[in-house]
Amino acid sequence: MKITIDGNEIEANFGETILDAANRSGLEIPTLCYSEAFGGQGVCRMCMVEVKEGDRKRLVASCTYPITSEIEVQTSTPELLEIRSNIITLLYRRAPNSDYMKKLHQEYECTGVEPVDPEEKCIMCRLCIKACEKVGAYAISTIMRGTEKRVATPFDEESPVCIGCNACADICPTGAISVKKEGGRQKIWHKSFEMFRCEVCGDYFSTLPVKEHVKEQLELTVSGDNLCPNCRRNKLARDVANVSK
Amino acid sequence: MAVNSQQPDDRHAIEKIVSSYPPEQRFTLAIMQDLQKQINYLPKESLQMTAQHVNAPVSVIFSMATFYKAFSLVPKGRVILKACDGTACHIKGSNVIIDEIYKALGIKPGGTTPDGQFSLETVNCLGACALAPVLVANDQIYPKVTPALLRDIIKEYRGQSDESDGSES
Repeated sequence: MKITIDGNEIEANFGETILDAANRSGLEIPTLCYSEAFGGQGVCRMCMVEVKEGDRKRLVASCTYPITSEIEVQTSTPELLEIRSNIITLLYRRAPNSDYMKKLHQEYECTGVEPVDPEEKCIMCRLCIKACEKVGAYAISTIMRGTEKRVATPFDEESPVCIGCNACADICPTGAISVKKEGGRQKIWHKSFEMFRCEVCGDYFSTLPVKEHVKEQLELTVSGDNLCPNCRRNKLARDVANVSK
Repeated sequence: MAVNSQQPDDRHAIEKIVSSYPPEQRFTLAIMQDLQKQINYLPKESLQMTAQHVNAPVSVIFSMATFYKAFSLVPKGRVILKACDGTACHIKGSNVIIDEIYKALGIKPGGTTPDGQFSLETVNCLGACALAPVLVANDQIYPKVTPALLRDIIKEYRGQSDESDGSES
C-alpha cells in the first residue's frame, strides 16, 4: 500500500510500522529507544510523527504505529520539532553527564536547564533491559517508580542470573552502565566475573558464564570457541578465502 | 513482627501463602498482597519464592514489588497510621498532623519507629473529606484530628502494645 512521508510516496506493507517503512526508504526519523533488534518500544516518544488519515490529523509514535491504510505522514512540523526539543531538554536535565545527551542538547539548540543529578547518564530508554531479556538472563529491570525509577538488579545486589555478557552496556546509548575490566576479571552490576582469553591473540574478551551460555545455545553450530570477535572474523575470512581458492 | 526467613517456621509460613495460589504469573500481585497483609512486609526470600512459584524472573517480581506503594520491603509497624493528605485534608491542616506525628514518634511518611510499633504513610484521599483532616490507624478511622486528639490516639495504641507485648520486652 502507498503512503507518503514528507511528500515522498513510498510503498509500505500492511501492519509495518511507520518507522520501519521510513527506514527502509532511507528517510530518517530520530529515535532514542529504538533498536532494529527489538523493534519499537514506544518509550522515548522521540519518533513522534503527524499522521493524516482523511481529514483527521494526529500525533503518533512512529515506532509502534502500524500502517493499515493509506496515510500521509509528516516528520518535522513545528509542533513535532518542539516536542522533540522538549524531550531532549528533559532527558538532558535527567542525564547531563552523558556525552550523547550533551551532543543532542546542542544539536537541538535546547534551552539551558538545571540538571537533577550532574553525575547521571541514564535516559531510561530500557534498551538494556530488552537486551538482557533477549539474552535470556532477565538480570535487570526497572525498580521503584516516578522520579526514583531506575534500572537495577533485584535488591541492588549481584544477580545470580547475570552472566556478564555486557549486552546491556554495549547497547546503552549513553554509556550509563559501568563495566570494569581489570586483571582478567570483569565487574558489572555488582558482580565480578572471571574472564577468559582468545586462543589466538591472547586478549581477555569475555566471561566464563558467557562461554557456557554460548555453548548451550549453539550446541550444534561449528565451534568458533574461544576466539575474540576480531580473530573470529579473521579466521572466517581465511576459511572463505581457502574455499574459494 | 519481623519475620526471619532463615527460620524454618517462618519460611514454611511464607511457602504456605505462596503455594496457596495457582502457579501462574497473573497471581503475582495477589500473592504479594497476601504476603504483605500477613507478614507486614515482603521479605527477600518471599519474593524469590514467589518468582519461583509463578515461574517469572526475580527481576520482574522485584520490579513490581518496588513499583506499588502498597508493598514494603522492610517490616512495617504494628500500627499503621495513614494520614490523609488529599486536597480537603491538606487545606484542613494535614501537614500539622504529620508534623505532630513526627514530634511524637520521630517518623516521617514512609518511616517506621525503631521499636516496630508505628508506621506512617500518607494517602491521597480516603473519600471522607467531610471528616477532614482524617487519620486512619490500622482500620480505625479518626475524624477531625487535632494535635491533642492525635496524642490521645498514639497513647491509646502505645498502651495496647504495653498490655499485649509487655511480656516480650
